[in-house]
Order: sequence, then structure tokens, then C-alpha cells
Amino acid sequence: MAAQDGGKSEVGVNSSPALKPKDWVLLSLRLVAFFATTAATIVMALNKQTNTVVVATVGNTPVKAAVTAKFQQTPAFVFFVVANGMASFHNCLMIVVELFGHKIDCNGLRLAIIAILDMMTVAMTSAGDGAATFMAEVGKNGNSHARWNKICDKFHAYCDRGNGALIASFIGLLILLIINVMSISKLLKPKHTTYIGVP
Amino acid sequence: MHIKLSSMAKTEWLCLLLVRLLALGATLSAAIVMATSHEKASFFALSFEAKYDNTPAFKYFVIAEAVASVYGFLVLFLPSKGPLWRLVIALDVVFTMLLTSSISAALAIAQVGKKGNSSAGWLPICDQVHKYCDQVKGALIAGFIGAIIYLLLLLYSIHNVLGPKVQ
Repeated sequence: MAAQDGGKSEVGVNSSPALKPKDWVLLSLRLVAFFATTAATIVMALNKQTNTVVVATVGNTPVKAAVTAKFQQTPAFVFFVVANGMASFHNCLMIVVELFGHKIDCNGLRLAIIAILDMMTVAMTSAGDGAATFMAEVGKNGNSHARWNKICDKFHAYCDRGNGALIASFIGLLILLIINVMSISKLLKPKHTTYIGVP
Repeated sequence: MHIKLSSMAKTEWLCLLLVRLLALGATLSAAIVMATSHEKASFFALSFEAKYDNTPAFKYFVIAEAVASVYGFLVLFLPSKGPLWRLVIALDVVFTMLLTSSISAALAIAQVGKKGNSSAGWLPICDQVHKYCDQVKGALIAGFIGAIIYLLLLLYSIHNVLGPKVQ
């Protein structure tokens, strides 16, 4: 078991072709996280609302102007969309690798690369969430000290959709955090080692 | 099986301690610099006071950095090879997440404060309170350095955990 045949090492000795129950848990968690982050990306990317306001009255006809609230106007929301998009892509990639890529081992570094990528995704998604949350809070409550008016009273649907995207992203972030801790704990477990000549 | 710390392992341990000390310094200075930022200005007979308290994002930043500093301080006192190091790695992940989200939130609000948001009708405030803006900028830089150091610490822990490589 310890000594390996020269040149013909058993890649994936522990991970037989059938996935173990623990792997199914990880896989289903990744699927849920994928759906959450994708939902957050799509809802925020399609977030747009146009209001027509009466600017002036010329004679008897009111002059209307269209005021649009889009997610592109706020850099924090743009970053939110980008971060969640990359998180969805990462989750999708991990699911595909988990289901179909058991042979890929990358010199025994597979678990480490997965853990590192998970960690970077968690960091990026948490940054996107944090920025978007506080920008949404300013939009909802305004900031009296800086004389920033709130905008949610005029753009209800925009704010509601933003809230929904934020909630989905938080769920995705929580699950991603659990997945990351699980990936790192997989690294810490003594797996089939590549030591030659174990006593 | 007791492994005595060889001299090379001791150097590595000292280096790790130094890096953690740096992270502690970064997060602590970020919290302190942000918490002491304060400026009064008057703008067309309106008195204008800028303090970190005014914005929830900055409050969150101060709290997050303070908690990370306490954690960093406590971790310095752990024995070098105890069983608690696995918990430390998990907590490192959580605290990295906390730090990145707090720095990102503060950065977003600071960006609005500096450039304003024309579509929402929010005027920038940095023209009136220069000193406050500069201090916030310093705190953000320190917070960013702290977050980067925590990320590097995590990468190092993962590298460490891979164990001795057989040549």
C-alpha cells in the first residue's frame, strides 16, 4: 500500500469512481452556492428602473424627463456583479471537475489548488457583498451628515431587486465559506501519502 | 513522536510570528486611524462635522479591524505545535473574509465621498474636509495591507499543510 510501482502510481486510490456520501454533500453544497451566486449576478445585472418625472409645465403640457436608476451607476454594484459572476464560474468549474475530472490530479496538488481557488473566491465574493451592502444602505437611508438623499423612496422596484440580489449573494457566500472550510479540512486529513518507505 | 524544533524550523516559526505581528500592526493602526478621524468645516454658513461615526460602513470597518486585531494578538501566544492550529487555519479564513468585506465596504463609501455619484445627486465631500479624507485614506491603506497579509498567511498555511515533499 505504501510503496508505489515505479511509474504506474495509483492516482486517486482513495477516491474510487463512485463518489462517497461526503463528496455528495460537498457537491450539493456547491450546486446550491452556484445557483445562489448566479441568481445574485443575474438579478443585479438586470436591475434597472426608469421613472418619469414632471420637470416643468409649459402652458398646459407637462414636460417629462426620464430618470433611470441602473446598476452601472454605482461602481460597488458593478464590482458586485463581477465578483458574483466569477464565483458562479468557479463553482461551475468545481462541479464539473468533481463530476468528470477524477483523473486530473496535477501532481497531487489537486486538493491544494481547489482549496486555494475556493479561498480566493470567498475573499472576492465577501468584498463584493460588503461593498454592495453598504452602498444599498446609503441608498435606502441616505446620509444626513453628507447631505446624500435616499433614493429608495423613488425607485422601489430597483431597491427591492437589489435587496433580493444581496440576500442571494449572502447565502452563496455562507455556503462558499462552509465549502472552503471543508476543502481545507480535506487537506489536513492524512490522505494516501506519497511517502516512499513509510514505517 | 516528539520532533524537536530544528534551527531551520525555529527560523520559520519566528518568521511566521513576525508576519502575524505585522498583520496585527496593520489592522490595529487601521482601526485607530479611522476611529480618530474627525474634522469640522463650515460650508456657506452650514457647519459640517465629518466623523467616522456618520457612516455605517466606517463603523463596520473600525469594528472589524478591532476584532481582527484582538484575534491577531491572541494567536501570537499560541504554543508552536499545539492541536489548536487547525482551528487557527479555519479562523484565519473567517477573519480574511471579514477583513476583505470591511475594507471593500469602506472603500466603496470613500469612493462616493471623493467622487460623488451624479446619477443619485450625491455631492463629493472631500473638497470640504481634506484632512478627514486623507486620514480615511491612510486607514484604508493600512486595512488593505492587513487583508493582504492575512491572505498570504492562509496561502502559507496551505503550503505548510501539504507536508514534506518527497524529492
